[in-house]
Amino acid sequence: MCKSYIISPLLTSRIQLLPPQLISQIAAGEVVERPASVVKELLENSLDAGASRIVVEVEQAGVRLIRIRDNGSGITPDDLALALTRHATSKIASFDDLQQVASLGFRGEALPSIASVSRLTLTSRTAGQDSGWRISGDAMDEAAPVPHPIGTTVEVRDLFFNVPARRKFLRSERTEFSHIEEGVRRLALSRFTVGFSLWHHQRVVLNLEPATDQIAWAQRVAELCGPEFIAASAFTDREDAGLRLWGWIGLPETARAQPDLQYFFVNGRPVRDRVINHALRQAYQDVLYRDRHPAAVLYLELDPAALDVNAHPTKQEVRFRESSPVHDFIRRTVQTALADIRPGTAPPPLIQVEGRSGGLVHRFSPPGPSGLPLRGVQERMSAYAQLHQATPAESDAAMTSATAIAITEPDPEPPLGYALGQLHGCYVLAENPSGLVVVDMHAAHERILYERLKAALAEGGLATQALLVPVTLTVNASERRQIEEQGNLFAKAGFEVALLGPEIAVVRQIPALLAGADIAGLVRDMLADLAAEQASDRSEAAILALLGSLACHGAIRVNRRLNLLEMNALLRDMERTDHGGQCNHGRPTWAQLTLEELDRLFRRGR
Amino acid sequence: MKLEAKREHLLKPLQSVIGAVERRQTLPILTNVLVNATEQALTLTATDLEVELCARAELPAETPGAITLPARRLHDILRALPEDATVTVTADGDKTTVRCGRSRFTLATLPASDFPTLENLPLEGEIRVPQGALRSMIERTHFAMAQQDVRYYLNGLLLEVSSGIVRLVATDGHRLAFQELATEAEVAEPRQVIVPRKGIMELMRLLADNDAEATLALSPNHIRVTLGEIRFTSKLIDGKFPDYLRVIPREGGRVVIADRMLLRSALARTGIVLNDKSQGVRLQLEDWILRTQAKNSDQEEAEEEIEINYTGGPMEIGFNVTYMLDALGALSGELAKLSFSDASSSCLIEEAEGGASKHVIMPMRL
Repeated sequence: MCKSYIISPLLTSRIQLLPPQLISQIAAGEVVERPASVVKELLENSLDAGASRIVVEVEQAGVRLIRIRDNGSGITPDDLALALTRHATSKIASFDDLQQVASLGFRGEALPSIASVSRLTLTSRTAGQDSGWRISGDAMDEAAPVPHPIGTTVEVRDLFFNVPARRKFLRSERTEFSHIEEGVRRLALSRFTVGFSLWHHQRVVLNLEPATDQIAWAQRVAELCGPEFIAASAFTDREDAGLRLWGWIGLPETARAQPDLQYFFVNGRPVRDRVINHALRQAYQDVLYRDRHPAAVLYLELDPAALDVNAHPTKQEVRFRESSPVHDFIRRTVQTALADIRPGTAPPPLIQVEGRSGGLVHRFSPPGPSGLPLRGVQERMSAYAQLHQATPAESDAAMTSATAIAITEPDPEPPLGYALGQLHGCYVLAENPSGLVVVDMHAAHERILYERLKAALAEGGLATQALLVPVTLTVNASERRQIEEQGNLFAKAGFEVALLGPEIAVVRQIPALLAGADIAGLVRDMLADLAAEQASDRSEAAILALLGSLACHGAIRVNRRLNLLEMNALLRDMERTDHGGQCNHGRPTWAQLTLEELDRLFRRGR
Repeated sequence: MKLEAKREHLLKPLQSVIGAVERRQTLPILTNVLVNATEQALTLTATDLEVELCARAELPAETPGAITLPARRLHDILRALPEDATVTVTADGDKTTVRCGRSRFTLATLPASDFPTLENLPLEGEIRVPQGALRSMIERTHFAMAQQDVRYYLNGLLLEVSSGIVRLVATDGHRLAFQELATEAEVAEPRQVIVPRKGIMELMRLLADNDAEATLALSPNHIRVTLGEIRFTSKLIDGKFPDYLRVIPREGGRVVIADRMLLRSALARTGIVLNDKSQGVRLQLEDWILRTQAKNSDQEEAEEEIEINYTGGPMEIGFNVTYMLDALGALSGELAKLSFSDASSSCLIEEAEGGASKHVIMPMRL
């Protein structure tokens, strides 16, 4: 006889009420998926209790033990048993409260769910008590007094001991622990004022002091997301129409292959939200290289009434009452912050990627003498240089000789410095106070052209130059079709292209900005790009894509010889241009080789 | 080879040819100047394989011979020596010694036989024109040549010779400059050649501003211009120049006569607010009045108004201000004549009294 695994109707059963233990176990299936969920739920309780210091201890990735100790307000002995009952909570009391939840939890499900799938003890002492009281999860015994400081300790042992199926589906210890760590990281990022420590097998994994000022915040972000992130990011803070967005956005050149460094917090609640993700993605639209993902730690604050957090049991998802203004606000804020990243304001992209150890120290660019005037609220990382006491002293010493000259001059040195010459017809080399700047002249010019074309279009049309000597080119069938179908798009971009015969097209007018370009090549490349993209001529995206390919093909090509004046003009243009650090395919346009790095090459000063 | 001469007698021909020596040469011998001393005269030759300059001086050599010497080094030495000093150049094997008073320099040499020269070109059809006239023709057209354009045939100046007439035409595809000069020469067969940009710039530097004679001669691939003691030879660009006659419009329906300098300075002032992103300036024509307007991306504006002789009714047209300024600057005479047909057609700019210059500019849509 073989046992059937197929769901089949059980005709003989009568309907009956399930025992409470079973109800809890079913509910636990939603909330308690793996040890990390337990840690998350309990941490949220601690945070809601106003704890300022939380210690998480786990053993065997939480399967054997999870102990969470906080110094929050505690639970009175009378309420201890109630806390383990389902749908019992102190966080909300009425439907109105549910409409504007300000706490992390509110459903009153976590503790009883966890208790139903583990051996749980709950120990707590409020400020009014002389001692703590303990109760165990099966609620067999009355609460008993035990010594305990003010606050609560929840101890979860033998998780899933009574749910073998769940236990079987747990991954390796390392994987489960990394989930726990990630959960702690998210909550630690959400509450800077709370100190966290995480222990695994009696060893400290994370130890975070409460952070009170912005420098300490940045330090915490550096500890949690890696020093590379904070060094190559911009801090932004903007408030508008009841919305506030602040946090750190990674520079485009440090974008990652996976979207694994994106932390979003809505009113202090860690969330994964499609609206926010999409807005971020759009903001980075034409500065990211291929399939890269931006890194960001962002905090959105808005009226709780405009937010529905009761969308999912684990509360990882939220719903915005009105998502499109939120989307626009996030996109605009991030876009503006990105556009403000200019040479001299941004830490220079490094030629050499430093190892994790000490990476932070090297990556800090010395604060420039004045840099460029900043628009808006963006702050520069130089403020955080204080974080690393060793850095300013070291770099100051190294920089003195180079900056001394700059200081005596009334004009501040431009961030990208002055051109020295051209390398292999491809790179412009320039000298600035920090050392050598290497510019990919095609990529840089491409971005400049693209931004100018976009600006000109936004201002009400591109200026065009009619051609005295029209340019003819031979076209094939698919190119001819593009010319026939995309006439509008061409006209919008400032071109007048017409067919003279079945195989001959003539260009009579071009955008004035591209006056020096190879017109026949440009039109041909544009036709090829259009054919590849199958763009429709209506959407804004299509015209942007066209401007992008115009900029790419219209930009100065490799092997074009530039004189020093032209090179310096290019550098100054880059400093003025939005997104000057990347071409519109997201490739970096320039890199800095610092004097320290050059010295290291030649073992100077050793 | 041994040669003795006054410093100035050596320096002057060297200065005439040194323009052909490129600073960044890949072929070492091209950084050198060919010194050819005969019993009658000395000739110095420099080349970058595109343009060859050759200067002759009546300096008989003590011992005839030919050698190449580093051009810039020799130039620097001669310049640094005291005026009126006598310089002795002695070549011996692969070293050459330059002596002057108590100074002595030993320079590295390369054999003269390795130096590429353009002797024995199959030249024909000599045309003689005054140097000053040729120079002014080039000055009035060269700015319209294209620069590093993929349409390589635009990176030069068209020279057309036919019986009784020489024409120069330059265009970068947006505007065109045309200049003609009457000559007495009879040419068997009219020819059009394109002289590359570098050659034109070098030639302009060499041409004197007087009535001394310049002799033009053409071979299938070269042009040679002889200016007294100096001989200029340049390769030609092998390509087909656009048909300039089709491009130059007939006098349009709307004719503006304006004071040339007044219009030019009004445009120059209007152009101050423009940057390299937008060179467009708007011309608004009304009867008797011309307004020029410019605006940049920061919304800064400039406006000028001048009185003109015009009665064609209101019209508005945009132009690249640089093109306008170049054209007006290249004309002479007090009054300029601008002919338009409509806002999307080219504009013809000439001297009001009629002349040998024509400039055509395509409009911009602003």
